[in-house]
Order: sequence, then C-alpha cells, then structure tokens
Amino acid sequence: MRAVGAIAGVELRRFLRDRSNIFFTFIFPLLLVVVIGAQFGGGASNGRVLLTEAQSSFGEDLRATLTAADVTVDASTADAAAETLARGRADVAIVLTAEDAAAYEAGEPVRVEVIQASTNGAQTAAQRVQTALSELATTRAQLAALTGAGAAPDVASQALAAAEEEVPPLQVDVVDVNEISQAFAGVTGFDVGAASQVLLFVFMAALAGSGTLIDARRNGVIARTLAAPVGTGSVVAGQALGRWTIAVFQGAYVMAGTSLLFGVTWGNLPVALLVLAVFAAVAAGFAMVIGSLLDNEGAATGLGVGLSLVLAALGGCMFPQELFPDALRTVSSFTPHGWGYRAFAEVQRHDAGVAEILPHLGVLAAFAVGALLLGSLLLRRSLGRAI
Amino acid sequence: MVADRVSDEPGTATSSPAAPTPSEQDVLVVTDVERRFGDLKAVDGVSLSIRPGETFGLLGPNGAGKTTTITMIAGLLAPDRGTIEVAGERMHPSAVAVKRHIGLVPQDLALYPDLKGRENLRYFARLQGLRGADLKHRVDEVLEVVGLADRAKDPVKEYSGGMKRRLNIAVGLLHRPSLLILDEPTVGVDPQSRNAILESVEALAGEGMAVLYTTHYMEEAERLCDRIAIIDTGRIQAAGTRSELIRLLGSSDQVRLSGTGDLRAASSAVAQVRGVERADVTDSEVLVTAADAPAALAAIVTAASTHLELADVEITRPDLEQVFLHLTGKALRD
Repeated sequence: MRAVGAIAGVELRRFLRDRSNIFFTFIFPLLLVVVIGAQFGGGASNGRVLLTEAQSSFGEDLRATLTAADVTVDASTADAAAETLARGRADVAIVLTAEDAAAYEAGEPVRVEVIQASTNGAQTAAQRVQTALSELATTRAQLAALTGAGAAPDVASQALAAAEEEVPPLQVDVVDVNEISQAFAGVTGFDVGAASQVLLFVFMAALAGSGTLIDARRNGVIARTLAAPVGTGSVVAGQALGRWTIAVFQGAYVMAGTSLLFGVTWGNLPVALLVLAVFAAVAAGFAMVIGSLLDNEGAATGLGVGLSLVLAALGGCMFPQELFPDALRTVSSFTPHGWGYRAFAEVQRHDAGVAEILPHLGVLAAFAVGALLLGSLLLRRSLGRAI
Repeated sequence: MVADRVSDEPGTATSSPAAPTPSEQDVLVVTDVERRFGDLKAVDGVSLSIRPGETFGLLGPNGAGKTTTITMIAGLLAPDRGTIEVAGERMHPSAVAVKRHIGLVPQDLALYPDLKGRENLRYFARLQGLRGADLKHRVDEVLEVVGLADRAKDPVKEYSGGMKRRLNIAVGLLHRPSLLILDEPTVGVDPQSRNAILESVEALAGEGMAVLYTTHYMEEAERLCDRIAIIDTGRIQAAGTRSELIRLLGSSDQVRLSGTGDLRAASSAVAQVRGVERADVTDSEVLVTAADAPAALAAIVTAASTHLELADVEITRPDLEQVFLHLTGKALRD
C-alpha cells in the first residue's frame, strides 16, 4: 500500500512540477468561467431589467421593489436599453422619462413604457415588473387615502409601514412554465460555467497527463519500479490513484477558485465533492486506457485533449445541456460529462443530497468501474512493453 | 585453473564453467536458463554463479543476450527454462519479496528527469520499503558515494550525462542489495565520470557486495572483474579469470622488430634467444613469437641489433578482444 502511495505521490508531484500545466491548470479554467458567466449572465436569473431615469425617486423606488424580488436591475439609457434587449443580454427595459418621474413625484397618473425582449425569461421578468409597479401604485394609493383623511405625510407613511408589518402583503411567486427558465432558476451564469469547467478540466488534466505514463514506461522507470519489491497490482493501483489524485486536485481547484472569485455556490458541498470524486475516477480510467494503448506522448496528449473537448461538448460543458435539442440531449446521456453535469445541476440548483442524485452517481460509478478495469487490464499488458 | 570453453553440444550448457560448483554462499546461481522471443533464442542455456564480494563480468557485443539475461535475473522476465536463485531464494517475476536482494542499474537512465536528484532517490527508496530517518540517511549516504551530494536539489534534466549515470547507480544502492546488477553503466559517459563509476564499483565489491557487470568494453571487464563470461548469440562461450581466458587462445606474445639491415640474419639470431619460440621475416620486419616477451625483450633486441638498425620495437600480448575474436569469429564491438 505504501508503494501505491509513493507511485501516486510522484505522479502528482510531476504534474505540479510541469510548468506548461500552470496556465492550463490554474488560469485557463477560471478564464473560461468568466467567459461563460458573462455569456449567460452573472446575476440572479429571476430576470434582468434595464431602467432609465434610475436616479429619480420613481426609479429608486422601482429598483428597490424589483431588487427585493431578486431581479437584477441595471441603469441604462433608452437607446442603450434597446440595443441590449436586441442582443438578448437583458429581459425587460423600463423606459422612464423625466416627465414620468416628475408626475410620480407629484402624485399624478403615470404611464410607464415596458419593453420585453425575446429571451426565455422575458415574460416572467415582465410579469415581475408589472407586479412591482402594482405594488408601488397600491402603496401610493394607500398613502393618498391616509393623507386625504387628514394624516400628515410622515404619520401616514409610519402608519402604513406598521400596518404592513401586522398584515404582511400577499406574496406572489411567478412560476415560469418555460422549462429552460425553470432549470436556471436561482443560479447565475458563473454557477453554470463553473460546474461545466470542473468537468471539462478534470477530464482534460487527467487525459493530458496520460503522456507521463508513457514517458515512465519508455524511460525505464516502470521497469525499475517492477524490479523493486513491488507487485504489478501495486504499480497499476499506484498509477490509477495518481491520475485520480491529479483529477481531483484540478476539480477542487476550480471549485475553490470559482467560489472565492465569483461567489459560485456549490450547494451541498460534501455531495458536490462526492460527484467530483466519482467523476475523477472516470477520468483516471480513461487516462490509463490512453496511456496504455499509445506509445507516443504527443499523440496521447493530443488524443486526450481532443477526447476531453468532444465529450465535454456532447455532455453540455460548453453550451448548457438545457438548451440542447432532444436528440443531442439523448447523446449526452452516453457521456460521463452529461451525467456529471446533471448531478452538479441538481446539487447546485436544488441543494440535492446523495439520495436525489443516486441515479447520476450510479451511472458515473459504472463509467468509472468500466474505465478503470479496462485501463488496468491494458496497463498490465503494456508493462510487458516496459521491460 | 584453465578456463573452460563451453561445448556446442546440446545439453552441455548446464556444465558451464561460469557456475562450476554453486555453493551455499553464492549470492546468485543461474542454472541452464533459456529465453525465447518468437523464433529467436535470446538466451540459450546460460549458467553462472557469483559469490559475495565478487565482480562477475558478462562480456559480449550488442544483441549477445546480456540484457535479457540480467532482466531475468532481476525478476522482470520469466525464463522459459532453467532456474535463478538469489540469496538462496527462487527468483521469478511474481516473487516480489526476493527482489529486495537485488539492486538493478539498467542501461537506460531509469529516472524522472523533471524531479530533483534527491526526489528520485526518495521515490525509489520508498519502493524498497525504506522510511523516515533510515530513508533520509541512506539517501544522503548514496549521494555521497556517487559524489552528487552538492547537486541533490537540482532537477535531473540539468545533470550532465555522467551525473545521470551516477545517480542511476545510486538508485540501485539505496537498499544495500546483496547483488548489484550493472547493465553497461558507462555507456555514453565522459572518461572522468567513467573512472568515477568504475572506482565506485571497485569500492562496493570491496565492501562485500556481489556485482554482475555487463559491458562491451573489454578494458572495463579486465579492470573490474574477478571472473568474466564471454557471451554471444545467447550462449556463454567461455568463462574464467582474465588469464584463464587468455590461455584459451593457446598463443604467445609477439614482438615486431622493424628497421634497416639484414632481416633474415636478424631473424636467425633472434631465434636462438632463450624463450623465443620462433622468428619469421615478413616484408619489412621480423615477427618474433615468445612465451613471455617482456622477459626476453632485452636479449631479443641485443640479438637483432647485430644485424639491424632498429627503428621500432612493438610487443603485442593477447587480450580479451583476441579471446573474443578467437571464440566467436568476430570483434567485440561488431
């Protein structure tokens, strides 16, 4: 067992010692999280609203009401808002004019222009805007009634606040029937991007590292290891553990980095780490298969990177699985990435426990067992070429 | 004792002189080992034995079967026939525990170039079961032995060829093996490093370690080895001490005398000198055959000088290269 640990330890050490890994292991994954986060939005997905005249008291009241409903509100101008909506980077624009703001201040009737984009969440966001405007209108009517009955404005506001505390207003939950909007409810683009990059880079780090296995076989280190009092099983187990350790290290780094830098939430962390551990075992198995089948380091690295990218794309790590057509979503079920993506989605978005993701873990475990068994068998055979 | 030449007769390999009478003290006993790769018989009935403190040379050209033989001795390859015993225990690829007796220094630099020298040693020491203070002590010790203590913190890829070779040897010494196998350890190293390696091997043998040394450098075998086996086409052609092997040639020393004058008269005069077996005239020189040329040289020169104005005198003594040529019909480095 100590020999297994020694072999695994030296594999991790070599991985960390390789300067070419610094960019691809530590920098590139976080850059991609930024790109995907920016593409799919970094705010809450209850809606992205643009607001003109945001500094007016009307604008500030509206922003406060919407923000309380977990809607992301950004100040804009009318022209910029139209362009942003057209690009699909916001769901709704509330175009307030100076006259609207003045009328609101004076307690006069206001007609607000709301422009809805064609994004998936636009309808829900527009509904939330309507609800917010209704809340503001109701509050204004209540205040007008109290002041009309002779109450001073300050007293009227305090009385209204006290009344709201005693009789909480009705809570309106807007449920979007759009599956995509539902799927992304409560998560940011960074959350989605981070999970995808964990899967992509865990696999890529392990597979690209399969070249070191070939190197060790070709330069005689494996033969020398077998000349020590170390059994073939220990060598195979050590190589598997080494590749698994590298994969887990890479995944844990992306998880920690995105959590600290982008505030990504991983839901139930122990369960998320369990998903990572099982997925890393799949990656370790694939790495052993490649490292045992091929005798050329460059070819192994190329194949490893290529295979990682293809599986990641099919599994939804480059474009969210929820946006896949049905046929492609079916294909994703034949990739470990597809199951890893779904497992992370359940844990991140719905705080799922082990029981809820048992089917996902089961499929990933089956992938892992199959890949590790095949990898071990091929590695045992390849040891003959090492001697 | 005169070295024995192995018969070409099938079935007589087990009487190989390399293992005349295996004794209980022998660290290594190889008996009638054979290994095929498809139709190629890479090792054909090799037998040998090595005692503690003895350096045994396996001398042969590339492809002679040296590396296959030591690969089987190291337990990396199973023989098709025959047995190998190390420190009294049967060696086989599955006999993991027996491998603790052996320190293998392969011909290839079996090191991690991206790791530091010390890190490489620590890794292989852990595989040998060393731990804690003992591990650290042994790593420091072997670094001193091979003269790399001051470069231990450098990555191996920054070492010179000779330093890599020395570190390669250090790995084989970590666990104080009973038998050290060195497979052509000086290939591609500079003369200074080569000398350092040879001195290390001499010192280890002096401490009682049995050494199996394969090489195709005759001078290394002559300098280091107590006994030498000449191997070719997978068979041990002859084995014994250096002088025993040379006696196999049955030839004497030769002295070449060249100069101007009466070559025939000089030849006749030299032929009368005591110890001279014969003297022949060639185109421009007198070729003298003597049992011990250095002993008779003064008398030979005196006799020849009466008829010749000597320009050059050259003594040629038979060496292992000639033994190899005699036994195999080809040069050692072919």
